[in-house]
Amino acid sequence: MIRFDYKKPDSLDDCLELLDLYQEKARLFAGGTDLLVEFRADDKKLSNVELVIDISKLPELSFIESDEDSISIGAGTTFSEILNNPVLLKFAPFFTEACRTVGSPQIRNTGTIGGSIGTASPASDPGPPLVAMDSLLTLASPNGKRDVLLCDFMEGAYRTIIKPDELIVSVKFRKLNPDAGFSFVKLGRRKALAIARMNVAAYVETAVDGTVKDVRIVPGSCMPITMRIEEAEKMLLGEKPNYELHAAIGKKVSEKMVEASGRRWSTPYKEPVIATLVKRALNQAAGVE
Amino acid sequence: MVKIKLRMTVNHKIVETEIEPYARLLDVLRDKFGFTGVKEGCGIGECGACTIIMNGKKVNSCLILAAQAQGSEILTIEGVENPDGSMHPVQEAFLEKGAVQCGFCTPGMVISSYQLLSENPDPSDNEIKEAISGNLCRCTGYKQIINAVHMAADNMKKQGRYK
Repeated sequence: MIRFDYKKPDSLDDCLELLDLYQEKARLFAGGTDLLVEFRADDKKLSNVELVIDISKLPELSFIESDEDSISIGAGTTFSEILNNPVLLKFAPFFTEACRTVGSPQIRNTGTIGGSIGTASPASDPGPPLVAMDSLLTLASPNGKRDVLLCDFMEGAYRTIIKPDELIVSVKFRKLNPDAGFSFVKLGRRKALAIARMNVAAYVETAVDGTVKDVRIVPGSCMPITMRIEEAEKMLLGEKPNYELHAAIGKKVSEKMVEASGRRWSTPYKEPVIATLVKRALNQAAGVE
Repeated sequence: MVKIKLRMTVNHKIVETEIEPYARLLDVLRDKFGFTGVKEGCGIGECGACTIIMNGKKVNSCLILAAQAQGSEILTIEGVENPDGSMHPVQEAFLEKGAVQCGFCTPGMVISSYQLLSENPDPSDNEIKEAISGNLCRCTGYKQIINAVHMAADNMKKQGRYK
């Protein structure tokens, strides 16, 4: 176990002051579900940590707010709190579904959305739906606040552009059309307590004539950075959803995965499986049998 | 490292101690207070053997810093029994239905089942599976555990425990 001091600031300002003082010698502790495991394993990247700042109860980070156009979630909101929110279930049901598959009930009671975003695992479950909604993060530092798109925030697997004196305050996205099709499919080694082997978030919105007017396709655990696959999305835009087209789009996503991640020991398995998962996600979102 | 004075309620009693700032709640409960029913299986939040109820929510005590428990209310397996010291219906049902083999997962399983029944007096099979999905058992195959939770729910209804 790495040894550290512990402080629990009462406000966001106090927290930022501590961050300013300690910089990379401080670690923010929200749910702790990743961090405590790494401390226990004497993870080398944490060997310089002197102070843990407990932000799990910071009131400024715990909220789910919505206005006419958008929804904003405080970084300290737990997955259990997200699951039980009716506004999210209505306007972002694939996000709710993704959060339902995180860890276990115990993990979801403590793990936070901000922690998940900050960890930047390529196998994140909430990652694909959040990227699909072009989510915007608000970061705070002693010098003020700045907004950054989630897809620009991630720099690589487990790497982000966050500075040592910054913290994630919230994640915000536009409400999608509740009448459109949403899906989140996940392949894990078992139903609970399984890190995603691969997952896919899909959104399909059709016009009155049945053609697709908005589509988002985001595979997870396929690329170092979770992203929308625009080439695949373009194949569906303006078309009527159908099984064969969805299968072809699945193949396209599979190609893009190999382009981005290269050929690895797992590629012969992942190639056909991600194609199938994308096809299933699109079928489900578009209501195709 | 600056030690921290910790005050919390464990199994309906207020307790106080001094802890290291990096101590896990699991270790403090076991080593400082002797609540050894809180088991360490994996230590990384996967097995659920260390499950406790903290401020009304079940959590893995291996993933909580003891310092976070400042002022909190905690229930471990040692606090599940009835006020007169007899076994809780969930514990009785686990014995009755053979839901215990090696016993290592049992405290966590009982806590998760207890928490479920406090929120949902008449759970379906799927609701029970969901409730114990964060608790691994390598002996029973879960069937007996699910049967035990149903039995406990029935018995608690008969005893008028639900209001």
